[in-house]
Amino acid sequence: MTSRTDPLYEVSHAVARMKAGVLAIIFAVICGGGLFLATVWLLIKGGPRVGEHLNLLSHFFIGYSVSWGGSVVGLFWGALAGAVIGWTLGLIYNSVAGLRTR
Amino acid sequence: MSKQVVIIGAGPAGLTGAYELNKLGLRSTVLEADDVVGGISRTVNYRGYRFDIGGHRFFSKVPLINELWREILGEDFLDRPRMSRIFYNGKFFDYPLKAANALKNLGPIESMLVGLSYARAKVFPSRDEENFEQWVSNRFGHRLYSIFFKTYTEKVWGIPCTEISADWAAQRIKNLSLTEAVRNALFGSGKSRDGQVITTLIDSFHYPRFGPGQMWERCEKLVNESGNQCVRGVQADRIRHRNGRVEYVVGRSTNGEQIEFAGDHFISSMPIRELIHAFDPPPPDEVLRAADGLRYRDYLTVVLIVNREQMFPDNWIYIHSPEVMMGRIQNYKSWSPDMVPDPRKSSLGLEYFLWDKDDQWTWSDDRLIELGIQECERIKIIGRSEVEDGTVVRMRKAYPIYDQHYQENLAVVRRWLDTIVNIQCVGRNGQHRYNNQDHSMLTAVFAARNIVGERHDVWSVNVEKEYHEEAKVATPAAGERLVPARIIRPEPAAPVPSPDELIEAAFARLDPIALGTAVGTLTGLGLFMATAILLLQHGPRVGENLSLLSHYLLGYKASSWSGAFIGLVEAGIGGFILGYVIAWLHNIGLGRYVSMIRRRAVREEEKEILEKV
Ligand SMILES: Cc1cc2nc3c(=O)[nH]c(=O)nc-3n(C[C@H](O)[C@H](O)[C@H](O)COP(=O)(O)OP(=O)(O)OC[C@H]3O[C@@H](n4cnc5c(N)ncnc54)[C@H](O)[C@@H]3O)c2cc1C
Repeated sequence: MTSRTDPLYEVSHAVARMKAGVLAIIFAVICGGGLFLATVWLLIKGGPRVGEHLNLLSHFFIGYSVSWGGSVVGLFWGALAGAVIGWTLGLIYNSVAGLRTR
Repeated sequence: MSKQVVIIGAGPAGLTGAYELNKLGLRSTVLEADDVVGGISRTVNYRGYRFDIGGHRFFSKVPLINELWREILGEDFLDRPRMSRIFYNGKFFDYPLKAANALKNLGPIESMLVGLSYARAKVFPSRDEENFEQWVSNRFGHRLYSIFFKTYTEKVWGIPCTEISADWAAQRIKNLSLTEAVRNALFGSGKSRDGQVITTLIDSFHYPRFGPGQMWERCEKLVNESGNQCVRGVQADRIRHRNGRVEYVVGRSTNGEQIEFAGDHFISSMPIRELIHAFDPPPPDEVLRAADGLRYRDYLTVVLIVNREQMFPDNWIYIHSPEVMMGRIQNYKSWSPDMVPDPRKSSLGLEYFLWDKDDQWTWSDDRLIELGIQECERIKIIGRSEVEDGTVVRMRKAYPIYDQHYQENLAVVRRWLDTIVNIQCVGRNGQHRYNNQDHSMLTAVFAARNIVGERHDVWSVNVEKEYHEEAKVATPAAGERLVPARIIRPEPAAPVPSPDELIEAAFARLDPIALGTAVGTLTGLGLFMATAILLLQHGPRVGENLSLLSHYLLGYKASSWSGAFIGLVEAGIGGFILGYVIAWLHNIGLGRYVSMIRRRAVREEEKEILEKV
């Protein structure tokens, strides 16, 4: 996409590599923290049929529910899923980028 | 037996060559035609008043050269504030131009006209950008061009701006390195490639206490003291060569005596045109003709001793007033107070750019001094009664001329010189290049190192930015004197990333295909696995909510295995597009940022165009 006349080429010829470990941590924090906060927010708000839709995540995350205990379980599962996504993203990106610049 | 090197010219290049060779353990003889050293960078002493040919700032981005200067001169190497303004219509304008100051000095009506002409240039720029006038007018407006660029440029080069090619101006700006601009934007303009702090052109510069000549006299002394020889008053007249090698140089002393200087290697800093004519037997006619095509602009300084303690704070002022011939006035006391023996007096250097064929070149000193006084009176800088004394210094070949043919001519000359294996051309006129002292010196350092087997292209200096990098060599601490020591190469350093490495990493492009593949794989597999988990759980109303995705993914159903596979493919494709677009936008954003830095740097460079004239 970037042509060799692109000013970016004058400054850097490098193709970025991702640090899979760092991506795993970032995604873990975002997903785990996100699910935790989303659950807690619904609990604080209260009301009828609290977290009806978010509860559906229990199909994938064993032990998860929209409850105080479930928020901690969600934190764990969210972080785990995020870490796997981040790490896999980095791994696939680096492998493909590596193949293409070889 | 150690190699003997003969160096022609004891200007900055020749003397640096001898100094470097001595460090490398080689003997050299430097032949200097004049009875002083320093070449164009000499300091003339007239009754205790010292002055340069122009004013010589010591400023370099090459760490090696900065170290060399300190090593040679030690404590007498001063750090001086820089100030220079433009004198026009009886007023001083800040340089580089500052809007508020320019508006104030020009007055409301002229400022408005300048503004209108600038706006016109931006809206209706001249389509043809063939000459200097069009080039500058397109950037600053025609009115600003006629006030601040036209007269000075024409004074310096003696050619109407309409006859100077636009390429020449663009060349001065084009050399700007984008990486350097980015480095300056990110790490500040005070850092050189290796992170060393360098002062900007704007604020200050280095200068020897007694003028640039002090540097070169000291260098000559160190060269002589270490067993080498710098011979003044010997002009290299003939260069005897055979079988592609120079055998000896025939020098002519001031009393006409001819002396032969044999050597294994030769370094020439004499003007390349004269060098070609000195070869014996002579080169082919075509080469002689090409050499004759290389031209030089000459220069003359009228120095006035003025009975006034302080003139102005500037080191020099550009004289844009068209009613006088002088181009600049140097105020030597501002360069270093020690340039003037009596603190109650000042000395001014009025600079005239001429051809040696011009009438004024042959005028008597008295007549030129009279011209200088009249011009100073005309622009009301000083009164006649304040002038106590004066003198004149003429310098031929001060500026190598870059005319339409110089590149072709130089190429022909260089091709022939390449056939003589043991002579290298260095310096300013030695290479017919607009080299400053630092460039001239670096060519000589490279030449000296080539003699001991290193491989440097002496012609790459002041052409490619990369020479800064090549020249990065650690040398003994400042102040250490000339001893036959080898170059100390830096220890393999701890892997601290350099600014350039950081820039390389920070401005690395994302690979859109790779990011597309990664995101596509994750979204495709993610949806497939989510659907599969629901299917395996076999609950009532299986995947009712996930099935809502069918609004976006045609044919997707969370209740069947075929739906799971459709999800895999379609979410995969969607993810690929998303990843690809993210990477593409990221790269475009970075590219825009780099372009913005470039535009800003070009604007800054353009502001300093006078210096490049
Ligand atoms: C007006 C002006 C202002 C300048 N300002 C600056 C500045 O601010 N900063 C800066 O760094 N540079 C400046 N320069 C550039 C600087 O003067 C030169 O880069 C530097 O002097 C070039 O050194 P050189 O040794 O290559 O050549 P030169 O200084 O020209 O020295 C060559 C020497 O060779 C001798 N020679 C010539 N022919 C023969 C021969 N046949 N036999 C023996 N000897 C011979 C000459 O007499 C001379 O001494 C300025 C130049 C000018 C004209």
